[in-house]
Amino acid sequence: MAHNDDQKDALQAEMNRREFIRRTAVGTGAFALAMALPGLMAGSALAAKSDLSKLREKYKDYNVILVSFDALQAAHVGSLGYSRNVTPTIDAMAKEGFSFSNAISTASWTVPASMTWFTGVYPSEHRLTNKFSVFNPPNNVLSNLKKLSPELVTLAEVLKENGYATGGFTGNAGVSGMFGYDQGFDTYFYEKGKFGSMGVSIPKALEWLKGNNGKKFFMFLHGYDCHGQGVPEGGFDYRFVDKGYDKKFTGSKEEQEALREEGLEKGAASLRDEDVKFWRAIYDEKIQRTDALFKKFLLEYEKMGLMDKTIFVLTSDHGTEFHEHKRFDHGFSLYNELIHVPLVIKLPKIKAGKVIKDQISSLDVMPTILDLLDVKMPDSAKNQLRGKSLAPAFKGKIVSKDVYSETDYRQFTYKRSVITRDGWKFIYTLEDKSRELFNLKKDPKELTNLLDKEPKIAYELEQKLFSHFKSIGHDLNAKQWITGLNPVYDSQAKGAQKK
Amino acid sequence: MINKGRNPASLTILLTAGFLFFSVNSFAAGGKASPPPVEQIPRHENTNVILISLQCLRPDHLGVYGYKRDTSPNIDKLAKSSVLFENAISQANLTPIAQMSVFTSQYPRINGMVSFEVAKETVTARTLPQVLKYYGYTTAATVSSPEFFMRFDNGSGEVINPGDVFSRSFDYFGRTARGPEGASLRTAPVDAFNWIKNNSDKKFFLWIASGLLHMPYSASVPPPYNTKYDDPGYRPFWQQFSGAPETADSAPSYDTFSRVFHDDYYQDFKPVYRLNKADRQFVTDRYDAGVFYTDLFIGNLMKLLDSLKLTEKTLIVLQSMHGDDLGENGLYFHYDVTDTVIKNALFFRFPHGENGGKRIKQQITGLDVMPTVLDYLQIPPPNEAQGNSVIPLIKGKKGATGTPLVFIDRLPWWEYTLSRWYLDMQSANGRDFTALEKLKLTEYRQTLKENFTELGYPPGDIAVRTDDWKLIIRKNPQLLNKVSWWGFITGTPQSTSEFELYDLKNDPIERFNVADKHPEIVNRLKKPLLEWDASMERAKVQPAPLDRRMIIPYP
Repeated sequence: MAHNDDQKDALQAEMNRREFIRRTAVGTGAFALAMALPGLMAGSALAAKSDLSKLREKYKDYNVILVSFDALQAAHVGSLGYSRNVTPTIDAMAKEGFSFSNAISTASWTVPASMTWFTGVYPSEHRLTNKFSVFNPPNNVLSNLKKLSPELVTLAEVLKENGYATGGFTGNAGVSGMFGYDQGFDTYFYEKGKFGSMGVSIPKALEWLKGNNGKKFFMFLHGYDCHGQGVPEGGFDYRFVDKGYDKKFTGSKEEQEALREEGLEKGAASLRDEDVKFWRAIYDEKIQRTDALFKKFLLEYEKMGLMDKTIFVLTSDHGTEFHEHKRFDHGFSLYNELIHVPLVIKLPKIKAGKVIKDQISSLDVMPTILDLLDVKMPDSAKNQLRGKSLAPAFKGKIVSKDVYSETDYRQFTYKRSVITRDGWKFIYTLEDKSRELFNLKKDPKELTNLLDKEPKIAYELEQKLFSHFKSIGHDLNAKQWITGLNPVYDSQAKGAQKK
Repeated sequence: MINKGRNPASLTILLTAGFLFFSVNSFAAGGKASPPPVEQIPRHENTNVILISLQCLRPDHLGVYGYKRDTSPNIDKLAKSSVLFENAISQANLTPIAQMSVFTSQYPRINGMVSFEVAKETVTARTLPQVLKYYGYTTAATVSSPEFFMRFDNGSGEVINPGDVFSRSFDYFGRTARGPEGASLRTAPVDAFNWIKNNSDKKFFLWIASGLLHMPYSASVPPPYNTKYDDPGYRPFWQQFSGAPETADSAPSYDTFSRVFHDDYYQDFKPVYRLNKADRQFVTDRYDAGVFYTDLFIGNLMKLLDSLKLTEKTLIVLQSMHGDDLGENGLYFHYDVTDTVIKNALFFRFPHGENGGKRIKQQITGLDVMPTVLDYLQIPPPNEAQGNSVIPLIKGKKGATGTPLVFIDRLPWWEYTLSRWYLDMQSANGRDFTALEKLKLTEYRQTLKENFTELGYPPGDIAVRTDDWKLIIRKNPQLLNKVSWWGFITGTPQSTSEFELYDLKNDPIERFNVADKHPEIVNRLKKPLLEWDASMERAKVQPAPLDRRMIIPYP
């Protein structure tokens, strides 16, 4: 985008001002937060941590709030080691609760990944693997949980059955009620056609809580504020952007989309180092502003006096890529920038501040919530859950496991991966049978494919991966994996022709 | 129900795979506190593998499979300390196609080896030597079946540097060459002996593939062995006819027997001679001479392994790639999917003769060889394998049934080959057809060209075999009738049925098609056969472009 010189100067001046505000805000942020959230933060820095050996095991009839900060890469979370202070509220909760520093999502984009929380099964099993279950214009069939997997019971359904009020307040798109994400929710908010913000879903959630009259509840809170298609209210203030940046990009969702498509088409998005830095700065602004929205929610929630009766689960459905593997956005790969997500579980009245390094999966979220609430799956679905409760980890039990992920993103690609407990990662691309092997301990960025150097490890992991999928009823050799076009974004669907 | 995909069978697969994976890995991660006890060293750390693949070997011509003639003392001796399979069935009737199924544990259409001419770019499926290389094996092959190495440029007729689909993943790929005056290269692959001597210190996989038994029978068997079983007074019947090949050693050849249909020898499209018992016996005698000479080779191989103290460190697998018709069906060669063609000798000689002498009756297939070798070596089978380890069967595990339904592909290769190069080659070699035959040949070649497109094959035939029955479906019998070589050489149009059903118990030679008598059996077998065929079509490998194909002429 071109600016004339006057515009450029004006923008620079604005950015400088914002930068000043940001630095001030960051400097006082933690203090302000501590003062504002006594229930959450009061004296935590001074108070002794709770004796976790005496941690209660069940929280029968407690409330649960599951929050998804859509597209929040684990590497950008302060409590997971990010240098910029962009997630003070999440970090504060991590300090009170349990932070899983190696949580891996079952998928790298919203539609398949999020449904794993609600069903406790892999995307292959809940079958929400693309926007359309049949893409054959003009006779497309939208994917829908009830239609694709009528036998699955959702987390909201189980809790509702156990007397919970259930409310979902979302940004639509990948977690739209149209896909059946609303299954089991008394109220499920989504605005059709939007990648909605928490700025909209939070007030709806608070409104619902106010009308809930003290009934125990399960809430799903979600927004696209960190996502590429999310733009903060009032536009960016460029708080983290380098002064000298030549403004080749402005951070718009259209640019984001163009870069995503360029990456898909050419295998790489053309970005300079300074552009990548710019996009990370934009991302950080989004994250910080999302975190601030969530802080506002907590302040209101605190006022309702429910903190001590509520379990919080904070996470994200997937990360996002900023050129780590030459592409942009998410969905199309299974590298860790896309599947390594934050997961914080905060139990009421406990000051844990424990980081759990065990590798776990987003599959474990549903069993953990049910375990803590002491709610059982109905008999008809007692074998449904693939994951395990993470609660034993709170008391130091090892919960580490090999984790599997998958993506059939837009039928552009079909990938499956396994990460072993000891840090080997194997990715198999079904349409071309290509294989990648990484030693995450030595190569956490997944840059060196060790397929030829370690053929035996690669071979054995490949067999492990295929055995796993076969064991859940999906023989990956039983069909041909033909790439095609199954649009996710409306902009793409408009011009989409049957391939 | 919610338990989809959680049936006990798939759980067993998972647990077995998981256990195997764990046991392999536990060693790799070893060395923590104390070294693992000797018995925990996975076998792939210290076990060699020799796969002996014999082209056209009929099990019923070996003593150990009940043959009366003493053709195979050495093989019989080896079999005594081996586990022997009485019903091992090929996936196809043609050498490279059946053997690639052994190497990949995949059906032909899945691994892409559906003809002799596929490009190496088409057949990329993982092979047994490829997996063994992952585990540190030195891999070698010594081969005397030209199907595995001799590729000619379709256009120029020049030999292309091997490097074809079979030599992939072999550190050494040795082949036999033509002898003086163009003598056949289908000799005993004795190159294997030198390789073993020079590499006995390595952990190796050696593939020994012999084409010695292939027609012309006994052509490369040296005297006096070649005439060992001859009736001294017998004179080959074909020598009385003009245009018959003049082979100094009287070896029964393709050129002769392509004129024999249902015991009649044809010239000018007329039966001019009826083969008698002595003629048929001579073919068998010369075939058996080849078996005897092959057996000598196996005996020498075993002596060498014993002398190098390798026998007990080596898993030895002996297999036929396929058999041959020796006139049983009025046919010769391996033209169709008769039991004489697709039933194989197969045995596994495990180190220390473990389970030696055991004979397994249940049907198994060539697809099972690779998973079995890997299972023994404690290597997980590749996910794409379509066969199963037979070790549970050997151990008598409950539920180990072998393969009750074996599926077979038949490609109308013979006529296809005639259409592409064989008849040209015959002309170039000065093999004479009669004037009348030449005249009609022009027309026949035109028919072949019209019906066999540049891009490959007409619909093939498919078959399913159980212990008791074999059902063959000819997908396009009209086309087969039109292009049939037998139709051409006999001057009589052939009449092929869409369905052929054979009662293997009461008619092991498959003389009588009883499809009309047993419609219920046809229907019972048709369903799984067509389902299998459809699943092959869904997942089949698409061929690489034609211009990269190469062909194999017969030497």
